[in-house]
Order: sequence, then C-alpha cells, then structure tokens
Amino acid sequence: MATRLAGLGIGIAFGVVLSWSGMTSPEVIREALLFEEAYLFLFFGSAVLVSTVGLALLRRAGTRALITGAPVTWAKERVERRHIYGSLVFGLGWGISDACPGPIMTQVGQGIVWGLFLLAGVLIGVYAFQRGNEETEPAWEPSAEPPSATRAGSAAA
Amino acid sequence: MLHPQLPWYLAGPALGLCVVACRLLLNGRLGVTGGYSELVSKLRDGNASFDWRGWLLIGVLLGGTLFAVIAGGPDFRGYGWLTDNFGDAVVAPILVVAGVLIGYGAKLAGGCTSGNGLSGNAMLSPAAFAATGTFFATAIAVSFVTEALV
Repeated sequence: MATRLAGLGIGIAFGVVLSWSGMTSPEVIREALLFEEAYLFLFFGSAVLVSTVGLALLRRAGTRALITGAPVTWAKERVERRHIYGSLVFGLGWGISDACPGPIMTQVGQGIVWGLFLLAGVLIGVYAFQRGNEETEPAWEPSAEPPSATRAGSAAA
Repeated sequence: MLHPQLPWYLAGPALGLCVVACRLLLNGRLGVTGGYSELVSKLRDGNASFDWRGWLLIGVLLGGTLFAVIAGGPDFRGYGWLTDNFGDAVVAPILVVAGVLIGYGAKLAGGCTSGNGLSGNAMLSPAAFAATGTFFATAIAVSFVTEALV
C-alpha cells in the first residue's frame, strides 16, 4: 500500500512537471529536436545532473529506502545490442510523434484526444514485446510480489 | 504551448528530484515504460492489482489532469507538424504506428527517456548512455528529414 501511494505521489509530481515544462506539447519537442530552442536540453541536462548527484549522495550515505527498508543501491548495465536497436526504434517513434511515454500519459490526462492514439499504439507495442521476450528493464522491484516475467541481465545487488 | 512554461532551471531539478525520491522511498528506478509494462502484464493476467510502477503511470496521467484543471485547459491544440501537414484521418494512424514503435522500442532498450534517459544516466549506467545517445540522435535525424520533406 505504502509503495503504491509513493508511486502515485511521485507520478503526480512527475506529470505536473512534464506538463508545466511544456513536454506534453509536440511543438515544444519539435523545436528542440530541430535545434530551434535550447529549453529541452537545459531541462533534461539539469534533471540528469540533479538526479546523478542526489543518487550518489544517497548511496554514499548508505541510506536505506524509507518505505521498503532496502539498501539504496543498483547495478550498472553493460551495453548490449538491444539497447541500441531498441533506442533506434524508440527514437523513430519519438521523432515522428514528438511524444515519449511520460508525455503521452500527460496528453491523455490533459484531455488531448490525439494522445489516445499514441497510448493505444504504446500498449500494442508493449504487448507485442511481452509476447515474445523476457523482461528487459533493470527496475529494482520493491514489491513483495514476484516479478511477472523473468528478469534478464542485472538484477539489483 | 498555450500556458506559461516553468523556467528550465526550476523544472529540470524538480524532475531530477522525482528520480531521487523514487530511490529514497523505494530504492526504485523511476521509469514510465515500467508502468506501461506493469499495466499490460497485469491486465493480460486479468488482474488490476498494480504494483508501484503501475500507480506511478496513473499518477503521471493525474498530474496532466491536475495541470490542465489549474491552467484552464490542455497545453496545445492540433498536433504539431503532423496536423499542420496532414488531415486528421492520416494523423491518427501515424500516431498509432509511432506509439507502437515507442512502446516496442522502449521495451527492447529496457527504458525510455525517463528510465534510460533520466534514471539510467543518473545511475551512470553505460547502457543508458548508449540508449540516450541513440534515441536523441535518431529523433533529431527524423525531425530534420521530415522537416526537409514536408
């Protein structure tokens, strides 16, 4: 219950920031990808910087996760072909639609009907992948339930 | 966009703090694609008891709703370069196909712009560096090619 509430709360904050920063809008993404506006790169870069520093501090301090009690740690992933091929396919979809998985959800949440077409596509794509493959995401799973699919690669330490 | 944009130096750090909060509370890797995975795999089993990743995805949707309610409506009309150049009957299937590429590609790569681009890079994961470089380069190339064609 507490893990789900935490997920919900973080998700709401994430969705508000994605909306307020304009990431929901295809025009904003398009202008960035055509190098007409620097906003997205500054936004993304500062987000990565803050999260990198934040995670390093948490791990160095030997923090235990407040809700799950798990030690805050993770495994780095080696580069495999699927990271490149998958990101080529993903980047193609992103470049065409100027939307990625988070903003697709905020489009739908804002009541933008076009987002429903993207959402339908994403669900089909995820379903098609799951039919033929093992789990790929290295998400550390702080739920008591066993993972629904076999996790490939690096499980957390 | 129709509403005032939060300055990047506030919005970027706020987004980064979501990644940090996910570690601090759950030792979780914040990734929106993980939410779609959870949703689809549970619904395939006829089960709606989502774990935290599924609730994160629902939260992102509600965050969009909250923003639209406070700001007084959605952030844009039409659909960018697509509705500027094509009729609605063409744009709809293009968006479905793009969605399939996004969903399948993100799963194959083990993450999207959040799981690999934000969280993975913050974990200093080589796979995330490679994924991020690839999807940015691809999306930039697609944008320049389509801009030249239409």
